[in-house]
Amino acid sequence: MSVHNILRGAFLAALLAITLSCWTGAAVAAAAGSTDNAGAARETLKASVDRIMDIIKRPEFTDAAQRPALMDKVESEIRRIFDFREFSARTVGANWRSFTPDQQDRFAEAFASLLRATYLEKFDGYTGQQVLFTGELVSGKGDKVEVQTTVVVKDKQVPVAYRMLQKQDWVVYDVIVEGVSLVKNYRTQFQDLLEKGTADQLIDRVKAKAEEVRKQPAQPAQSGQSGQSAPVGK
Amino acid sequence: MTEGLSRIRIAPLLYAACLACALLLAPGAAFADTPAEGAPHAPPTLAADLDDYDTSNEDMVPDPLEGWNRMWFAVNDVLLLKVIKPVHQGYVAVTPDELRSGVRNFFHNLGFPLRFLNCLLQGKPSEAGVEMGRFIINSTVGMAGFIDVAKKDKPIVEPDKEDFGQTLGVWGAGEGFYIVWPLIGPSTLRDSVGLAGDYLAEPFGYMVDDQTVYLGARAYGEFNKADEAIAGYEAVTKSAVEPYTSVRNAYIQLRRSKVAK
Repeated sequence: MSVHNILRGAFLAALLAITLSCWTGAAVAAAAGSTDNAGAARETLKASVDRIMDIIKRPEFTDAAQRPALMDKVESEIRRIFDFREFSARTVGANWRSFTPDQQDRFAEAFASLLRATYLEKFDGYTGQQVLFTGELVSGKGDKVEVQTTVVVKDKQVPVAYRMLQKQDWVVYDVIVEGVSLVKNYRTQFQDLLEKGTADQLIDRVKAKAEEVRKQPAQPAQSGQSGQSAPVGK
Repeated sequence: MTEGLSRIRIAPLLYAACLACALLLAPGAAFADTPAEGAPHAPPTLAADLDDYDTSNEDMVPDPLEGWNRMWFAVNDVLLLKVIKPVHQGYVAVTPDELRSGVRNFFHNLGFPLRFLNCLLQGKPSEAGVEMGRFIINSTVGMAGFIDVAKKDKPIVEPDKEDFGQTLGVWGAGEGFYIVWPLIGPSTLRDSVGLAGDYLAEPFGYMVDDQTVYLGARAYGEFNKADEAIAGYEAVTKSAVEPYTSVRNAYIQLRRSKVAK
């Protein structure tokens, strides 16, 4: 073997080593980046869940006279973590761009009102629910995180996942309960209605549904098996 | 009569297979973990794509029988909320909680071979082991399943119920199309075939000769836990703007997530 060949071998080996270390370095950096995002999303959600739990665990919460004020606090917490506009855009899907800005606003507001009527106003108190944070999924690009939790209600365990993306802070844009995505579920309903009617009719339907839910009597405690500790979940 | 006969022909084969697998698996069966708080600094799992439904349209199953399905959906809605619910509330008022949970546990325990078989058919030995452990403990210490003793043992909490519809899905069978059955509710072509399999593989069917008694007992078992079905149905429909579509989609999503698990 000539010196030339040895040198060439050494050069190739060095090149290979440098390439490899660059790759691994990049991979490590990428993994670290997604860990950061997962951690940031989880901590944001966790802090929000903690604040909400603190409010609903207060003894005043069981007092009908004091509850509305506390409900408002819970709602402002939910509005902070939950992006209703993002949620609305995703449920309406491709049709969202054909909505005027005014229609978009009214839709997001009607939708928030429906979710408030269904989940918040029917919630009659803390009964020992626990939220365990069980893990995270990060999207390929690293810009979206699914924070996975298990809600423990008595002896039942309900898996609830929150899909989050980063705006100024990390916000929730979908809630997935036992594998059922709220966004996907509403999307099929809205597609059906938008095929048959206009945006304004859809907004009216959502508003009417919220009013209908408000008129229904509260469910007895036993049937509220899930959804209670998931802020806006089902 | 013929139903009874076909059950009897399939029965020994299925359960011999079950038992053989059980004996092979039992000693080494690992118990499934209960969910625990994730280690704070564990690296997150990288998902292939969380953005899947940013742009894509919802992949729904075909619904060629929509007219028929909507009719039964409406009938079932009335049956469930206007008939079964009030009757069940009366039943709850006159029976002690212990009796109702006992009956539920008893029927659940009877369904063990079916779930066990499907765990194996789906290649889930550890879940099969949990089912096995629960069955042994509850059948003995728990008085033929009346008391769910195993529930108090953290590592052997009830796993997800496996059925033939899921097994067919795991094997790659498509859903076919959506179908709403009277009383049974939402299903697909695949899950309906699965239901027939579940019916044939149910051990309770071989224990009772009289079909009327069998069906009556099964109906009572289902009625006893009707509150679960009612709560699930109401959870989906109470916030729905278009309940039929909402239930259809929730059913499909739920089944897909179970098959994927």
